[in-house]
Amino acid sequence: MSELVQVQDLRISYETARGIVYALDGVDLTVYSSQILGIVGESGSGKSTLGMAIGRLLPSNSLRTSGDLFVNGKSIFDIGDEQIRLLRQTSLGFVFQNPMSTLDPTMRVGRQIRLVLNGPASDDSIYELLRRVGLPDVKRVARSYPHQLSGGMAQRVVVAMAISRQPSLLIADEPTASLDASVREQILRLLLSVREETGVAIILLSHELGLVAKYCDTIAVMYGGRLIEAGSNVSVFGRPGHPYTKALLEAAPGSERPGDWLEAIPGVPPVLQSSAHGCVFEPRCKFAQETCRTVRPALRPIENRLVACHRAEEVLRAEPSTAATHGRIA
Amino acid sequence: MQIIQYVIGRFFVALATMFGVSIVIFAAVRMVPGGFEQVVLGPLATPESRAVIIAKFALDRSIIEQYGHWLVAAVHGDFGISMVTQTSVTQELIRRAPATIQLALMSLVMALSVGLPLGVISGLTNGRPWQRSLGRLLGALGASIPDFVLGSLFLFVFTVWSLGPTIGGYVPFFEDPWTNLRAMVLPAVTLAVFGIALILRTARDAVKSVMIEGYIAFAVACGERPSRIVRYHVLRNAAIPIITVTATYLGYLLGGAIIVEVLFSVPGVGLYTYNGLMNRDYAIVQASVLVAAAVFIAINMVADTIYTLLDPRISAQQRAS
Repeated sequence: MSELVQVQDLRISYETARGIVYALDGVDLTVYSSQILGIVGESGSGKSTLGMAIGRLLPSNSLRTSGDLFVNGKSIFDIGDEQIRLLRQTSLGFVFQNPMSTLDPTMRVGRQIRLVLNGPASDDSIYELLRRVGLPDVKRVARSYPHQLSGGMAQRVVVAMAISRQPSLLIADEPTASLDASVREQILRLLLSVREETGVAIILLSHELGLVAKYCDTIAVMYGGRLIEAGSNVSVFGRPGHPYTKALLEAAPGSERPGDWLEAIPGVPPVLQSSAHGCVFEPRCKFAQETCRTVRPALRPIENRLVACHRAEEVLRAEPSTAATHGRIA
Repeated sequence: MQIIQYVIGRFFVALATMFGVSIVIFAAVRMVPGGFEQVVLGPLATPESRAVIIAKFALDRSIIEQYGHWLVAAVHGDFGISMVTQTSVTQELIRRAPATIQLALMSLVMALSVGLPLGVISGLTNGRPWQRSLGRLLGALGASIPDFVLGSLFLFVFTVWSLGPTIGGYVPFFEDPWTNLRAMVLPAVTLAVFGIALILRTARDAVKSVMIEGYIAFAVACGERPSRIVRYHVLRNAAIPIITVTATYLGYLLGGAIIVEVLFSVPGVGLYTYNGLMNRDYAIVQASVLVAAAVFIAINMVADTIYTLLDPRISAQQRAS
């Protein structure tokens, strides 16, 4: 397993009308080839910013205040516009949330694929690509306009376009959030089968714990612009080491027994107007103590994962308050 | 096939619109204070001479009778004769059309060739704050300065100093192209300034709103070349509002830019309409307004047809409704 993406102490903020908002507040992360990494977090946790940063696709009001991000060993912030374009074209594939707005409404699907392929492409190669993402009746699909397809079919087309240039990394930002429940699993299984076939690494950005737990081998949990826990699926979701991960699992529907309460997390996630001194989760944390307010917990290895919590040992030892003992979620 | 059905449907709507326009204009012309007999004979005319005129032009009949009579003839392409000059209005309109069409095309070409690229570029690039402010200021100025003000300004400057372009002195293009262009350039520029501002602002806003669409972000994420993104995704998706204002602008120009034609003595449809209006020459006003409305409707029909070709969702909506 070679290192595909390395994020080092990355800080990204946005200049908005209401002042500066910190989206990423010192994130360290490594993505290996052929890995399928699920990044979990609420909206505003910074996961989309992280995903877009990998392709340097951040909006123009964004600002990198520290850190760096390497793809294939090269800093994406150091290279020129043409080089980043070639990197996107050859090494990265993106799948966005809403396939209907991702596809150009005025152009037939086949033509859009041809444009992305960037070079002479035969009709057959386009049909073959559509077949690979599990679409039936590929000739008709290629002739269709996006609005003539269902959401699930359109997302398959987007996946086809994203993998058409054999990328080494696929970044899927909430790829199923706008789809029907019945189609969600299909799209994720499709991403999985693409990985089986091509060995592409996948970063799945999602707020749906169930899907991430089911499909990803590695998990990273983000909160308030920071990475707070990362490790294998089994260790992170099986026995969380961060109070937030633990609370998320307890709040997730699906693992409760009849009659059990779902444990909601009190409070709301932060909008960071400044970089917090202590732990960002401290105001909502059951385990909070004085040091949490003043000292930022570093990401440290403990029991097969990385955790950013002063009291991770106690969290790991603590009795699950509800259903988490009764089986894994999803 | 769908496009043919669509065009036929639109044609009938256009006919109904024309019918409505003809009623409104017929009534409106007669509501202008001071009838034809008063204007043409002056205040000191005898009642007898007035009666003669009224009888001659059937102005004593009921307005509905007059309208019916006029409509039947108009459908056959006969707009009657000018009550003042006793010449055929249809003939006169045809004779004057080339000057108006030439003026319209010159203004349109200028407006598009300046407004479109500037609008697209300023939509694509944010520019510095002062550039944005300057662009906005010029856009607002160009769109809001009345053509009679700008025209009068040109009139003043180019009559005081001889700088090439002439005021008036129109000759048909095919008789003497150079003299023709010298006479036409000022009215064309006067009309183009408004068109430039209109097209520039519309193009800028349309491009800006397309640039934030998901498919542009996706095309960038796929590593497509910026030039290709603009060419294949941005322009096509931004085209509809630009075509809308261009069609409206062209309709306005072809209807006869009355004030500009009067200011620069361009013997086109606009000047003809103006003279007809001043003389209460009902036949002329009715005919030229009706023709202007027809041109306007026809241009918009063409524009609507282009929309359905550009955006497949529009024809889908029409089929659904």
